[in-house]
Amino acid sequence: MNFDWSVVGAHRDALAAATGMTVLLTVATMAIAVPCGIVVAALRLYAWTPVRAVATAYVELFRNLPLILVVYWAFYVLPIATGLGLSPFATGLAALALNVTAYNAETFRAGIGSIRRGQLEAAMALGMSRAQAVRRIVLPQAVRRILPVLASTWVSLFKDTSLVSVIAVSELAYVAMQIRAQTFRVLEMLTAMAAVYWLLGYPQAKLVDWIQRRYAVTE
Amino acid sequence: MSRRAKESGARIIRYRGVVKRYGTFQALSGVDLDVHAGEVVCLIGPSGSGKSTLLRCTNALETIDGGEIEFEGARIPRDGRALRDIRRRMGMVFQSFELFPHLTALHNVAEGPRTVLHARRAEAEDRARAMLAKVGLSDKASNYPAALSGGQQQRVAIARALAMEPDVMLFDEPTSALDPETIGEVLSVMKALADEGMTMVVVTHEMNFARRVGDWVAFFDAGRIVEQGPPRQIFDAPRTERTRDFLSHLGWHGQTL
Repeated sequence: MNFDWSVVGAHRDALAAATGMTVLLTVATMAIAVPCGIVVAALRLYAWTPVRAVATAYVELFRNLPLILVVYWAFYVLPIATGLGLSPFATGLAALALNVTAYNAETFRAGIGSIRRGQLEAAMALGMSRAQAVRRIVLPQAVRRILPVLASTWVSLFKDTSLVSVIAVSELAYVAMQIRAQTFRVLEMLTAMAAVYWLLGYPQAKLVDWIQRRYAVTE
Repeated sequence: MSRRAKESGARIIRYRGVVKRYGTFQALSGVDLDVHAGEVVCLIGPSGSGKSTLLRCTNALETIDGGEIEFEGARIPRDGRALRDIRRRMGMVFQSFELFPHLTALHNVAEGPRTVLHARRAEAEDRARAMLAKVGLSDKASNYPAALSGGQQQRVAIARALAMEPDVMLFDEPTSALDPETIGEVLSVMKALADEGMTMVVVTHEMNFARRVGDWVAFFDAGRIVEQGPPRQIFDAPRTERTRDFLSHLGWHGQTL
């Protein structure tokens, strides 16, 4: 078997653009899923019971469905449900955000639950409302505690963005597969893909580890 | 100062028939107590006798199931802005300090003025520095709680409560979690506060403090106040067998200091 690595170089612009799309999808998904995760976690913890039930149902639905199914589902159902012709990018982003928000909500809920009750009481004894106490005192401690979990979610998400290739979002996996199909250079393209995912994923994981050490709260 | 001299001070907190249940357990079974302005009232008694519960009901960290608690002649509201206004006028100090571990000592103390009183940052931090100076910790302003000893943490917690300029201070076993050698520094700060005329309700196992600093002592057992009176009465001439029994188990045999 002979290898022809020139195929990678020949398509470097397309691969670079696709890598950019993968990074963009990851960042955009987290930009939605972190604040939404906090909101869903807060609803599950503090809201009026029926609202709490809806939040719980949401989490349990999306946490227990395969992501690829959610991607397909968003692709076929969202246009009918919303009447909008969403781009593949928007559709893929919606599917990823729905999934990761559910995970983040559970992560934040666990983090908030791990802060002992006395902290909330100390804040409320100063005259803070429950919302102020959660925002100013509980949440900042919870976020620091769950940073390693958010980091894992981030790295998983970075790789899982490849699943939206099934609806033709031109991210790294889709573009690499397209090139493979055109050139029949299977091993070269798969290896190039693996290299890009790993080389980008590893430093991200390390970066978050560093943030975790830098901002950890000792008690 | 004796209670008699202070009774001219207005009654600031009034407990009448206070009842608190946890499921089938009755934590408080009808407690009556008055706290006057400028007075130090010490709540003593065995663990689980209800003294901490009464303190936590005072600023509604616990809700009561019967009776009433009045602050300056009005019932403690159950929730909302009215309750928050009352809470900020009652400083609270916890057994386990409950400093905010993600904030420096200075920001722990400035947090209340910033968030609740909407003070400007510089103003809140100036006040926080003044309060830290008051508890003798000016040099620890930039330390995080984890870098402070237990006694220092509790003094920061007192400064944090004082920064709200409260009318009453509630102390929930403030020295019970401390090493013996740091208890004194916290009690000294509390004594100084009492000497300034701060109204204080103190749940404590420090009988020397109750005797020397307290104006009024209430002895709790099984959810009731068994006996209350000036420290001289409680410690030198307890009227009930239960009080005598409790004090003898603490190694207190009526001798003066």
